[in-house]
Amino acid sequence: MSEQISENIGPSPLPAIEVRQIAFRYDSVRGSQSGNRSSWAINGMEFTVQQGEIVGVIGPNGSGKSSLLKLLMRLVRPENGVIRLFGVELETLSRESIARQAAYMPQDLSYDFPFSVLDMVLMGRFPHRRSGLWNLVGWEQQEDLAVAQEAMAQTDVTHLAHRMIDTLSAGERQRVLLARALAQAPRVLMLDEPTAHLDLNHQLDVCRILKRIHAQLEMTVLFVSHDINLASQYCDRILLMKQGALVCIGSPQEVIHPQVLNEVYGCRVLVDVHPETGLPRVSLPGQDCHQTVAVSGML
Amino acid sequence: MIVHPSPSQTNLSDQPAIASPAPLPIYKGIASWQALRARRWYGVMGSMVLLTCGVIALCLQFGAHTLTMAELWSALTFSTAGGEDVAGIIVWDIRFPRVLMGLFVGASLAITGAALQALVRNPLADPYVLGISSGAAFGATIGFAIGIGSMVGGLGLPLCAFIGGGLSIALVYRIAASQGQLPMHKLLLAGVIVNAICSALMMFATSILNPTSLYRVVLWLMGTLTAPSLTALIGIGGCLLIAVVLLLRESQALNLLAVGEDAARSSGVDSDRVQRTVFLVSAVLTGAIVSVSGMIGFVGMVVPHLVRILCGADHRLLLPVSALGGGILLMVADTVARTVVAPAEIPVGVITALIGGPFFIYLLMTRKYRFFA
Repeated sequence: MSEQISENIGPSPLPAIEVRQIAFRYDSVRGSQSGNRSSWAINGMEFTVQQGEIVGVIGPNGSGKSSLLKLLMRLVRPENGVIRLFGVELETLSRESIARQAAYMPQDLSYDFPFSVLDMVLMGRFPHRRSGLWNLVGWEQQEDLAVAQEAMAQTDVTHLAHRMIDTLSAGERQRVLLARALAQAPRVLMLDEPTAHLDLNHQLDVCRILKRIHAQLEMTVLFVSHDINLASQYCDRILLMKQGALVCIGSPQEVIHPQVLNEVYGCRVLVDVHPETGLPRVSLPGQDCHQTVAVSGML
Repeated sequence: MIVHPSPSQTNLSDQPAIASPAPLPIYKGIASWQALRARRWYGVMGSMVLLTCGVIALCLQFGAHTLTMAELWSALTFSTAGGEDVAGIIVWDIRFPRVLMGLFVGASLAITGAALQALVRNPLADPYVLGISSGAAFGATIGFAIGIGSMVGGLGLPLCAFIGGGLSIALVYRIAASQGQLPMHKLLLAGVIVNAICSALMMFATSILNPTSLYRVVLWLMGTLTAPSLTALIGIGGCLLIAVVLLLRESQALNLLAVGEDAARSSGVDSDRVQRTVFLVSAVLTGAIVSVSGMIGFVGMVVPHLVRILCGADHRLLLPVSALGGGILLMVADTVARTVVAPAEIPVGVITALIGGPFFIYLLMTRKYRFFA
């Protein structure tokens, strides 16, 4: 099944993200059992994300979700195919101009260096810095502070501004990283597992903030998640991946379907309806969650 | 609210950051923080410069012959009234070049240590661990052994040291890098291995040297700052100045890299360029230092840690303060080295290791400082 673009998207001049037939593989040393080079991490993906959409990327472990995000940020380069960001080929853009268009929130960072929350958020201003002879080290200007402050207000971390990053809880840290991404003033936000390792309350926090940002700033959001239910509740469209390939992309109702998930994840799942939102909801079966199903190829 | 660039305008810096008509009231803590930070930067840098000057004066005063304050003052102000100006000669001809060299060498070691630690996100990194120093030392030993140390107008030794340092960091880089990626644990391991190989080769080279050269090489390897020539001073000073400018330009990029490479690159940091700059600067500077002063350990590793505890992790402040701190530490260590057993001296590398080692252990055992974790 190729892509299905929902009809309710307004007429926007350029799609935020356009992916055409990309293929990518890691040049790994360890994955060389198969004689030839390592297998494709991403192979022949093709999809489009319109401006202002929230798209969730789901799929089993190792299906290439994180690789896809890295490709979209040009942290790695595809072997074949073209990626366009607002109609411009990613290859032709400088690192800084990509950063002014799209911000990326990685899964984990190193918190060993004693930076404050504000330092961390201000790092998002890097692609907008103006350094010169008079400002060799690139001190932030008043404008950068204003943007950082606004970003911190958006993610409710203003009160933490002067705390050290390593003294924060996981939920607070995640919101700080989100603020840092916002301080970059991007048009697209790409998040790698924004709710991983968070308890329910903090998961809800992050999702609400994302929804708010999306609504207020008309930002395009693309996030990777293991939590199908979260994706179902908060995404306009869901992109389902398996073994580096696109299985399907469409509204939650279209993608979250017992048979599809059965085939992709290799285990039986139950899909019912969320009591409040009416969106599909996934549960694991009671007894035989390990019952595998013969995979008959892609849909 | 944040203003987002429209499709035609991609550069936010062309637009006002705050949407008019009602600019948001800036959160007081942050606004005052900015003023505070500027004040803090000038305050810290100013006091470090003053402290450095004070330490220089003290180091000029002490030595095999301790000067009185009056003697020091008259020498410093060139106000000796006739007669033989012994104090003036001691201060300006003997001690000043050596103290200045201590400042330069200490500053170079500390600033490269700080930059390398951020780059590899590892507290153990310094020019020694990454194999640069032993490569440079090996190169210089070869220079000694085959007698080109004093050729090329006295530049033979620095040249050999620089080539050795450059080759070893290139080798380390080559071993660690795979397809555009530079895994930091691999880099450190490669550094340790190259370090070991170079040390072994150096021991071999010293074992076949004749006794007179051997004595000089061994003394030099232990680290010493005796009687630098004017060319050496100018050379190291020039290298240091260029290095400071190049590293300060990358200091915010180093902040981002210290937190995570992918995140930094996604925020627009050209990590390849920063890596190249830092490695090249380290190789050149270390080659230059090793050729004039041999192996002086611990300054590059300890000083950035200390400064981080005192001033935080922002490399825009950390780098210059580390440089001055390293200079101070080495000047003091060298003064101790030439004072305690005067008129003989202890190699300054011994002093830095003896001060630095226990101090590092103390920090490890007492501070709850995450960077040691």
